[in-house]
Amino acid sequence: MRIDSTQRTWAIASAVIFAVSLSAYIVYAHNSIQGARGGSAIGLAFGVLGFAFMLFAALLGARKRAPVWRLGRAQAWMRGHLWLGALSLPIILFHGGFHFGGTLTRVLMWLLIFTVFSGLFGAVLQHYIPRVMTADVPLETIYDEIGNVRNLLLEEADRAMEGLCGAIGGSKTSEEEIQRAGGFTAMRPMAAPTKGSAAVAPAAEILLLSEEESSPLRHFYFNEVRPFLERPAEHRLLVSDLHRSQLGFSGLRTLLPEGARATVDDLEDVCEEARQLKKQQRLYRWLHLWLLVHIPISLALIVLGAVHAVMALKY
Amino acid sequence: MATVSSPTGLINITIDGRAVSVAPGTSVFDAARISGIPIPTLCHLQNETPVGVCRLCVVDTGARVLTASCVRPVEPGMKVETQSGKVLAARKTLLELLMADHPSPCARQQKSGDCELETLAKSAGIEQSRFAKRTVARGLDDSSLAIAVDHDACILCDRCIRGCDEIKNNFVLGRMGKGYSTGIAFDLNAPMGNSTCISCGECMVSCPTGALTNKGVAGTSIAASEDGYTFQAEELLRIPVFKGVSGTFLELNRGAIVKRRYRKGEVICREGEFGSTAFYLVEGAAKVSISSPIAHVKTHGGAKGFFKRLTSTLVDRREDVREEETRDRTIPIDASVDLSYGNPVASLGPGDLFGEMTCLNFYPRSATVRAESDVVAYEMLRNVLDIMMKNKTFRAQIDANYRERALENHLRGVPMFADLSPDFIDHLKQSVELQRFAPGEVIARQGDPADSFYLIRIGFVKISENYPGGAMVLAYLSRGDYFGEIGLLGGGVRTAMCTALDHVEVVRIAGDDFRQMVERFPAVRKGLEAVADERRLANEQRLKTVDSVPLDQFLSQGLMEAQSLLVLDLQKCTRCDACVNACADAHDGVTRLVRDGLRFEQYLIATSCRQCRDPLCMVGCPVGSIRRRNSLEVIIEDWCIGCGLCARNCPYGNINLHPFQVMNEDPDHPGRTKAVVKQKATSCDLCTNLAEPSCVYACPHDAAHRVDPKKFFADAIGQLPTY
Repeated sequence: MRIDSTQRTWAIASAVIFAVSLSAYIVYAHNSIQGARGGSAIGLAFGVLGFAFMLFAALLGARKRAPVWRLGRAQAWMRGHLWLGALSLPIILFHGGFHFGGTLTRVLMWLLIFTVFSGLFGAVLQHYIPRVMTADVPLETIYDEIGNVRNLLLEEADRAMEGLCGAIGGSKTSEEEIQRAGGFTAMRPMAAPTKGSAAVAPAAEILLLSEEESSPLRHFYFNEVRPFLERPAEHRLLVSDLHRSQLGFSGLRTLLPEGARATVDDLEDVCEEARQLKKQQRLYRWLHLWLLVHIPISLALIVLGAVHAVMALKY
Repeated sequence: MATVSSPTGLINITIDGRAVSVAPGTSVFDAARISGIPIPTLCHLQNETPVGVCRLCVVDTGARVLTASCVRPVEPGMKVETQSGKVLAARKTLLELLMADHPSPCARQQKSGDCELETLAKSAGIEQSRFAKRTVARGLDDSSLAIAVDHDACILCDRCIRGCDEIKNNFVLGRMGKGYSTGIAFDLNAPMGNSTCISCGECMVSCPTGALTNKGVAGTSIAASEDGYTFQAEELLRIPVFKGVSGTFLELNRGAIVKRRYRKGEVICREGEFGSTAFYLVEGAAKVSISSPIAHVKTHGGAKGFFKRLTSTLVDRREDVREEETRDRTIPIDASVDLSYGNPVASLGPGDLFGEMTCLNFYPRSATVRAESDVVAYEMLRNVLDIMMKNKTFRAQIDANYRERALENHLRGVPMFADLSPDFIDHLKQSVELQRFAPGEVIARQGDPADSFYLIRIGFVKISENYPGGAMVLAYLSRGDYFGEIGLLGGGVRTAMCTALDHVEVVRIAGDDFRQMVERFPAVRKGLEAVADERRLANEQRLKTVDSVPLDQFLSQGLMEAQSLLVLDLQKCTRCDACVNACADAHDGVTRLVRDGLRFEQYLIATSCRQCRDPLCMVGCPVGSIRRRNSLEVIIEDWCIGCGLCARNCPYGNINLHPFQVMNEDPDHPGRTKAVVKQKATSCDLCTNLAEPSCVYACPHDAAHRVDPKKFFADAIGQLPTY
């Protein structure tokens, strides 16, 4: 969610609530002989209000579980979650008079602080990361499909290599597939494909590098490109970094004949896409993993908050 | 010392020092062969007229120059040297010249190691030719289903040409070009697959190199089973319907046709299944039907109460009439008969062919065929069906069947032809022409004179028009659809380009018959004119819209004329998939939205039919149940069989299959029903029953929006809307 001018209403409302609460608290704390206490009428009012805000914020999770119920747009719920959840911290501080109290209330205060700040941290991430991801990962795919896309990239790279260097071994790609597709052309995978109705097509110029000519390319492919496509987490590889990758490919081009340029370009594109997928994975994790902290402590806060309320009112 | 002639009338000659007596007129080559003296050759075959073009059989007869033995008749007293140094040197040079022009190893050498040229070269000790290789390739022709043509491997021996002309009398093959660019050609240099070649295989069998080779079409053998009997070529030739088919071809394709027996009640093929074979019914009767419910998906609810979610159910067009829904009374299927909408069941009998579209175009089966009595059928693969359809005897029988049994229904299936009188139908039965078109072939060209009306019998026809920003596909027409009426009723000129998308068969009604028909039957004229006007109006409307939007931006992304698009602002979207979950939740757990698609700057154009310029979803529907409304939106007719081809074809993943539990007749227990899951294709309905689409409503980040694309993109690209 982007924090922008569309949230002005919520921001103003929150500021008003905060200002009113702060004024009330100052008056109350100044006039109270024993100082601000959670058990006083105004303290209890702050407590109820703060807990209500927390409950509302927590209900967002439940709201998401019933997305088509017409309970108000999810966007409104999310904004309420953000602004009221943030407000709950000062309100609860007013409730306790800025004292953390006994063990349970101390735990509750720390949980609240962690919850609010983890939430704010998440809001900041969700404000910036989508923009970064949109700009830096133009080839973004669905997160769960990243593994499949990576396998396809590996196949594509193998095919490009086969097309230029002949069989590279260890890959069960083009030849077998063409064979399955059947026909005489299967025996000559490099033959020019016929297009449309112009079935008699001139044969394409076929470039197949000799063992010696293709040696630098094979070396680079098997030591840099393929390992990166198979294990993208490896940082030591040249192609894992854009700048070093560009240098590596530039150097490689100087060692190969002119006709091999298209294949080298293809391989560079494949590496670029793989790097983007790696970046997407990293950004996606930043976007969502903070929830693993935020959600459990929020739940603990609600449960312990309810226990605190019952205990405080009963005893 | 040879004598002039022997008392028996034979001619005496000497070959390599051996006295030989042969009949007058015998060639030197044959005389040597009879005597057991081998002379190498490439262009000569015993069963073909000798032409002496390869010159490899040269011998020394003592004349001024060496002579080609295959065309040189013996003369009394002739002394022939077949192995002299001069002869061997000449042959070696010839082989080297031929090898310089030959891709070695050629396809045949790779496959079976018996390329005659390469074998001879090897035996002559030629490993590398001294002469320069050909620099300009002559190309491959992969258009035939059965035979691959590698022009580079052709040595111009003419054996194939003589095989085609002299042995088979097909007269398809000949030579083209001259000098260095000479080659063999089919008809007037047409691709082999589009030529009149019947793939008899004679040329392939005659060819000494890898220039003409058997493609060994993938899976030439139909999977063997207990009830299948694989024919021998000789047995097939004794069956009347195979009369005239080349034995060579049948031999090469042994296993591509099997005889199957089905007991009463047994399923021969099932709707929605993918297959690659056609069936020719020899004995017994079969019932062809559609078991999917004849209904479309309707989404209800959601409008009242906040707990109420959407529910999708199946309803037919009587209960839920949709705008521009087809009112056809027949359902087109892949057989010689059509099914009626009210009762989608028909019978097939001996002589009927079904599964042609599946076999030729690899589309899913359009209907379920079950044996009504004990049935004998021939199941055949595409290469066999293709050659049989070129076989005049078989073709005539199938066409006669069609004219007799299906043409009337086919014509009457078009609502405006429903009132044609029986006598005129009889007249049409005799006068219409059944035409076949290969994939990519143009049936009618925009701007050409309009001289015929076409009714599609098999396959898909692409109708496209040229617009200022490029050609746009107006429609994909399938079985039961027709075209050509606008030109005939209007200015006499074709208004659109009509191209065969796959193997297409059409019923061609000549212009005179068409005019006679519209004169005799005013209702037909009125109906056709109404449709023609509607089509013209829609096209003009489209043209106006196309003019008013930036084509490259809209057409290229398939966004033209979209009624509504789901746009995700990627700068706000946290990729939480709440929209996808909401869509699934709203549609019985089946999402119609995939958070993927084309990007336009920071916007992702997610799902919903985008009324593409080239609606690939319509290609291949075996029952023709998906089509466009005039607004270009897709409508899925009631008789969708849920095969899923449209969903697979849609490049944007905008068509989904919705499973429903329905009660079907249990074939194992007649009279009883059992629950089965049937699928129906659906596309995004924008949650029309709700005030706001569920995906937008459920997005917590204000990232998902339903937009009018023209307004939205005009703003986005800094242009004001022009409407």
